[in-house]
Amino acid sequence: MTETIDIHAPGVEIKKSCCYFCHQNCGVLAYVKDGEVLKIEGDPTHPTNQGGLCCRGNIALLHLKHPARINHPLKRVGEKGQNQWEKIGWDQAISEIAERLNQIKAESGAEAVATAGGTLRTDDWSRRRFMNLFGSPNGFHNALLCWIPTFMVETAVSGWSPFETDLSTSRVVILWGFNPGASAMPGMRGYSDLQKAGLKLIVVDPRYSETAAHADLWLPLRPGSDTALALAILHTIMFEQLYDQDFVNNWCVGFQELWEHMWQYSPEWAAPLTWLDPNQIREAARMYANNKPGNIQWGCTADQLGRTAGAGMHARALIRAITGNLDRPGGDLMPGPSMAYITDEELEANEWLPEEQKAKQIGSNKYKLTSWPGYQMIADTAKATWGKAPTAEWMCEAHGPSVFKAILTGDPYQVRALIVSATNPVNSYGDAKMTLAALKEVEFLVTCEYWMTPAALYSDYVMPIAGALERPIIHNNYGVTDSLIASQRAIQPLFERHTDYDFWHDLALASGQPPEQWPWDTLEEAFYYVIYPLGLPVASYDEFVENYRFYYPPLEYYKFGEKGFSTPSRRVELKSSILEKLGYPSMPTWIGPAENEIDDPELAREYPLVLTTGGGFMPYHHSEQFNIASVRFLRSDPYFTINPETAKTLGITDGDWCWIETRRGRIKQRANVEPSVDARVIYAQRGWWFPERTATPEEPFGCLESNVNVLSSVDDEHCDPIGGSWANRGLLCKVYKVSYWDKVDATDTTFSIPGSSAEPGVTVMPSDQKLAYEPIPYEPPGAPFEVPEGLVWDENTQIAWDLELGLAYDPESGWLYHPETLVYYDLVTRYAYDPTSEVLIDEATGIRYNLETREPIEGGGADGGGESGADGASAPGADGGGESDSAAGASAPGEDGGGESASAPIDEEGGEAQ
Amino acid sequence: MTRYAMVMDQRRCIGCQSCTVACRTWNDLPDDIIYNPVVSEGVQGVFPDVHATFTPLICMHCDNPPCTICCPCKASQQDEDGIVWVDEAKCMACKVCVNSCPYGARDLSSYDRPLHSFVRKCNFCKDRVREGEQPYCVMTCHQKARIFGDLDDPQSEVSKLVNSLKVERIFPELNTDPHVFYIPDLGGHR
Repeated sequence: MTETIDIHAPGVEIKKSCCYFCHQNCGVLAYVKDGEVLKIEGDPTHPTNQGGLCCRGNIALLHLKHPARINHPLKRVGEKGQNQWEKIGWDQAISEIAERLNQIKAESGAEAVATAGGTLRTDDWSRRRFMNLFGSPNGFHNALLCWIPTFMVETAVSGWSPFETDLSTSRVVILWGFNPGASAMPGMRGYSDLQKAGLKLIVVDPRYSETAAHADLWLPLRPGSDTALALAILHTIMFEQLYDQDFVNNWCVGFQELWEHMWQYSPEWAAPLTWLDPNQIREAARMYANNKPGNIQWGCTADQLGRTAGAGMHARALIRAITGNLDRPGGDLMPGPSMAYITDEELEANEWLPEEQKAKQIGSNKYKLTSWPGYQMIADTAKATWGKAPTAEWMCEAHGPSVFKAILTGDPYQVRALIVSATNPVNSYGDAKMTLAALKEVEFLVTCEYWMTPAALYSDYVMPIAGALERPIIHNNYGVTDSLIASQRAIQPLFERHTDYDFWHDLALASGQPPEQWPWDTLEEAFYYVIYPLGLPVASYDEFVENYRFYYPPLEYYKFGEKGFSTPSRRVELKSSILEKLGYPSMPTWIGPAENEIDDPELAREYPLVLTTGGGFMPYHHSEQFNIASVRFLRSDPYFTINPETAKTLGITDGDWCWIETRRGRIKQRANVEPSVDARVIYAQRGWWFPERTATPEEPFGCLESNVNVLSSVDDEHCDPIGGSWANRGLLCKVYKVSYWDKVDATDTTFSIPGSSAEPGVTVMPSDQKLAYEPIPYEPPGAPFEVPEGLVWDENTQIAWDLELGLAYDPESGWLYHPETLVYYDLVTRYAYDPTSEVLIDEATGIRYNLETREPIEGGGADGGGESGADGASAPGADGGGESDSAAGASAPGEDGGGESASAPIDEEGGEAQ
Repeated sequence: MTRYAMVMDQRRCIGCQSCTVACRTWNDLPDDIIYNPVVSEGVQGVFPDVHATFTPLICMHCDNPPCTICCPCKASQQDEDGIVWVDEAKCMACKVCVNSCPYGARDLSSYDRPLHSFVRKCNFCKDRVREGEQPYCVMTCHQKARIFGDLDDPQSEVSKLVNSLKVERIFPELNTDPHVFYIPDLGGHR
């Protein structure tokens, strides 16, 4: 404390920066003097964190100046993996990389170049822009494990994923496989506060997590059985009539089919799969459905279930829909893309990627919803609604593991170059042994990194990337909400570090992309372009950050009232037409997981425990921060949690190093003996590698030793057919102590591509499937009846119109009607129908015509007829009079009781009009 | 008069240890010094009827501090607002105070500054506090499980909490009169 740093000294500037060590992007105030950051602290005025910073946020300065950071472009001089480098200039590195990529493109096509990403940590739209203009569809992230399949399924069903939860007036929230207590700290504070005000917390988690500790109802289910639970909750809500009848009748289609389909998934059916008591499931369903409004918060577990994942996301989407919690105050809001600023999708230049290149996207023949076939349909529907589409980065990508397989097998074609950006693939993608082999094997590898990671070690070039405090950041939740938070850089990047945008921008220009496609020289210029349409009086991006910082449009409710939902039918599709068109079950359908003790009792005898992993834990985020001593000391070794009872049986005591083994391999972690998990469950920490160890070429930095992804499988048949995600929850494993006599055996070094682990080898080659991209052009479903000549079908209103006279067509009766006066008109002559005298009247001339013959009637004045006015508006010829739901036509969603829907006002108003 | 005190709301603490790391980085502490660890016995009970409690520890800034009276060179001292601190210029690193503290709240770094080592301890971030700001560990706590303020001010949050809830103190029987108060987490699912 002798050299106390005075942050209030003259000349110290305060920069509004943000944390860049997880997705929350908490606000950070950086005290900067002469280009040096003196101190940082949480920004008390920032809407996300209000001054708080977690372990990760507080180490930004250590991260900035860490001696192990890569500060200059490195070019490989020795053999791959020998860790011998030459420092070269940025421009030289860029031009050499560009030259090589262009050569590969000329020889093998642009699709031979792929890029791997991590999480929301880079300027991803610029990567997409580069790839689109380069012509390769093979960009991918770990997005499939991180909520993207959920987004796509929910968007297919109800038009947008309800990402924005309006918790302020909510009464119940389900945190489903989501542990904000370890992975979204600012959120956890909010839950604690709201709980005091009466919010009920339902937590679904196999482990007594930081969040489960605060739950009102905790469902400690079998890991990986979330889909069965979701189906049983949906079943309970339907068959106990807990759903919102009005919403289902007016705004959903396919309820009858869903009713018949869901009959099979009772809580009793789910009980043996989930290890929960059927009454626990019912209790949860009732607590959620009876406390309206309520929310289901986002969480990534649903995406990490492997084969069963898609059905679970689908069921959860239906749970929120039929309870009427969509887009209502206190419910799950669906903001749609932002209309106020430029979205990432508009920056991605997707229209520049040729159709034939889209067709070559690896994995798009298998996992269609999260690649071009499904994305195209969703984007087309979204554009029809808003004129803007969700981002294609994340939502529409190659299947990562399939790209690694393509590197190793050349199937469907040889991928020759890989650019790794902000990810440590060995630790974050499934089947780590296979991923590591692919990184060793790939012909040309470039890594954009902070550190020397296993991927960087095998690279031909390693590019130094600017971290937190060195880059401006716009946080807009992957473009799925319409708000935006902006932060500025505290300092210019140190040494030769550059932002990811600089990398892609420079690479694009060096590889010959037209400069007019890259009009922004700096990231600030690009971000100014993004916020410019907000129309605020600012002359630069930095000025926006200093004066406004964020853009939060007021919350809008019931937006579907205007245009309907952004689906082909404009309704929530309980029976999804998009999934059906892609060849998937249109309603959530249970497919058993890759491994479980019920379907596979023999396997369960050898591997009796159920493994769950992939959950976040403090102080690490994914595979990051393991090299920063100031947080590593909190958890210096990898630990797995085991119930004391099981540990006793296996002779394991607290702190013992143990092997965790699945069919695919084994890893070492230390035992944390604690009753926070069921006796049948093992919870293992994710992400572990040991940057302090040597970079041996075979297994650098101990990257396989404690890496849970060694245990997971990315075989085609184990992945979710809808989204392609693989399982790291609910795998069968066994645990035994590490002993002196342990030998490295064959299973420790082998892996299978891409067949099953039981029978290593190739079982489902992608080429065995029909590879050719079958473009599924977006066609509006059209009218459910034949539209008479002269009328125009309108998708939005679901009505065939006579545009000239403004008359709507009623397909039941074959008559036209005026939507406001509710007077019926003849389809052929356009004469009005007079119910009192049962004749037609030409409104222009006043001449009366016979109803049947349409001949003029002599002797004008009609007698009153004596009919009561009540059924006056009913269509002639439609029996049952005003009861008919005919006017509602295509929009009557509830099969019975249609009179409650759109036709009801016709009766009443029609009566009054008389 | 001002009497600074801190309240730890154990109902809110989730054991993330952000305060531990934050304090170390803000105060540039050497690797072997921690001012505020968070301790826990781990999850207790039989699954699924289990419970866990986290206890953030810190210097208690006692009203009757044993660590100041024992200091032979008057380096360890207490100010009028209750803050106990060490004047590093006067400290000769005899470690008497380290041994006298029943809370283990102070220590000597064996890593840094071999020629002039001195005892380090939490000083409630007195430079920040006297500028009207919160101690850094309070500021950084996402959970708002730490509340800091003037106990003598009846309008302050700490005085309201201490006077309205059942609060506990660590080792009250030692008559040190600690000024860090704990709102205990009573356990079970709420």
